[in-house]
Amino acid sequence: MTMALNPQRPKRRWWRREGVQGYLYISPWLLGFLMFGVAPLIAAFMTSLSKANVFRTIRFVGADNYEKILTDDPVFATIAGNMLIYVIGSTVISIGLGLILALLLFKDFRGNHVFRTLIYVPSLLVGIATAYLFKQVFRGGEVGLANMFLSLFGTEPINWLGDSEKPWLALVALILVNVWFAGGTMLIFLAGLKGIPASYFEAARVDGAGPWQMFRKVTLPLLSPVIVFNTVMALIGHIQVFETPLAFANSGGVATGNPLGYENSLGTFVTYLYVKGFVYQDMGYASALAFIMFAATLVLTGLVLWLARRFTAYGDADQN
Amino acid sequence: MQDVLERPAATTPAPPARSTLKRRRNPRARWELTARIAALSLFCLLLLFPFVWLVSQSLKDTNQYFAVPFEWIPSPFRWENFTDVIFKYEFLHYIGNSLWLAVYAVVVNILSSSFVAYGFSRFRFPGRNALFMVVLATMMLPGQVMTISLYRFYREIGWIDTFYPLLIPKLFGAAFEIFLFRQFFLSLPREVDEAARIDGCGTLRTWWHIILPQSKPVIIVVAVFTFLGSWRELFGPLIYLTGEENRTLPLGLLYFTSPFGSSLPMLMAAIVISLIPPVVLYALGQKYIDKGVAIAEIK
Repeated sequence: MTMALNPQRPKRRWWRREGVQGYLYISPWLLGFLMFGVAPLIAAFMTSLSKANVFRTIRFVGADNYEKILTDDPVFATIAGNMLIYVIGSTVISIGLGLILALLLFKDFRGNHVFRTLIYVPSLLVGIATAYLFKQVFRGGEVGLANMFLSLFGTEPINWLGDSEKPWLALVALILVNVWFAGGTMLIFLAGLKGIPASYFEAARVDGAGPWQMFRKVTLPLLSPVIVFNTVMALIGHIQVFETPLAFANSGGVATGNPLGYENSLGTFVTYLYVKGFVYQDMGYASALAFIMFAATLVLTGLVLWLARRFTAYGDADQN
Repeated sequence: MQDVLERPAATTPAPPARSTLKRRRNPRARWELTARIAALSLFCLLLLFPFVWLVSQSLKDTNQYFAVPFEWIPSPFRWENFTDVIFKYEFLHYIGNSLWLAVYAVVVNILSSSFVAYGFSRFRFPGRNALFMVVLATMMLPGQVMTISLYRFYREIGWIDTFYPLLIPKLFGAAFEIFLFRQFFLSLPREVDEAARIDGCGTLRTWWHIILPQSKPVIIVVAVFTFLGSWRELFGPLIYLTGEENRTLPLGLLYFTSPFGSSLPMLMAAIVISLIPPVVLYALGQKYIDKGVAIAEIK
């Protein structure tokens, strides 16, 4: 009786409570996460442990798919090699070039904005369109733009995507394409650099640090969280590369020939998964491939975080 | 899922007030600036070359395309390539499909993601932080893992070669966009919400009438990135849309074949067409996108 009259404690219906309302607002995400995340993930794991025959009867085979992929699949062995080279090469380009460009653009000068825009915009265009563009850029013979450029230095035309003796050239072209898309990482590095208090640079300058020392002792340590973040994001992105290798491997317009490229030299995790799952309809095998790809992502991410912990010193700044 | 890459997010707060250093006008500094601009100009030249080349090649016929030595300015210009691609090659249809899918994605994603982000930023409930960590963690999951099971599920319920597999999941919010909205909402003053609540405004109306109108910058950033993501998506449409009728622009490009001969200049024209909307969109939202990197503070 007194409770109801007490102004400090207005009577509230259960659905008006803060906690309940919070859950109501996040419920769309929660529902979507269960339906389009957890459920298919579990289903995919079950699928990866089974094999379906032509009549779509599913048979439990345990870890057979994983075992076959890892020990008895020469195509996968080639692809794993491709991916190792591709992911390392592309990440070095994304991070190295992105960082250099950010350092160049860090200083304010007239026209800075124009450069930043020109470098950033191509990274928004990634997709099948730019994939086909770069397929023409890396075309063999004198017509390809890359060869035209190299001929200025007297180099013979290179058969980038179809050299039967050097199939690895295709992989090199695939990695080089990332030079055009370093703008995304550049922009994040730039934001990171602007977050470093100017007083640190001034203090170093007063202490007589040169540009290199300034970079090694001030910029790099203070930027390391951004570098780690960018590296992890770049790794995840590069492991899942799909459009460019698919376009490069396509001979002619339609998806003809081997979507994995000549001697599988352009095969990546996702193109192989696509071929196995959706061309050959071997869902069990494709699911196992997906989980192996996921595991590779986790291992590489873990490795980066571990290295970051060993070689960067977040706390050093306040020892000065 | 290369799109994870280009999404700007930053780990740093907005720059603090910089102490104004008087730059000494010494020759060394001037030389350094010249070198800086020279390096950037060279790199931008390298960057732009393929795109200039693309436009040039898109305005040629096949003979001009393969001509050696190369002609940067085609003579004559073949503007028909563009009209041919749009009308004879069905690209008008593909553009239509891509456009309405992208617009749908933008509208639905802004509504659903901001709704969820509102829940994460303005209410306290048990497990909130853990659940938000789960939101972030889902960005690491390769979408292809789920695609296989989802494909089989959609096949069972007859959704293959319909747009439902691309439309329905958007209703539930997207991790990165939820994250962006939440970060922005946390920066909005709570006093306004409080005042609205005292005036008898419910939480739903607070979200719609108080929070969203203040969120123009983040809405624009999310709109641009959602549009771009949908516009260039290939893997999902490739798997779910099997018929020609439902092809999106990326699928049209992937299956580009020429029934009329001289296909490469046409393909180049099709590429130019598909790159125009992203560039225009960036130009329109540039002011906000550049600031948008500061919205996402992960710390």
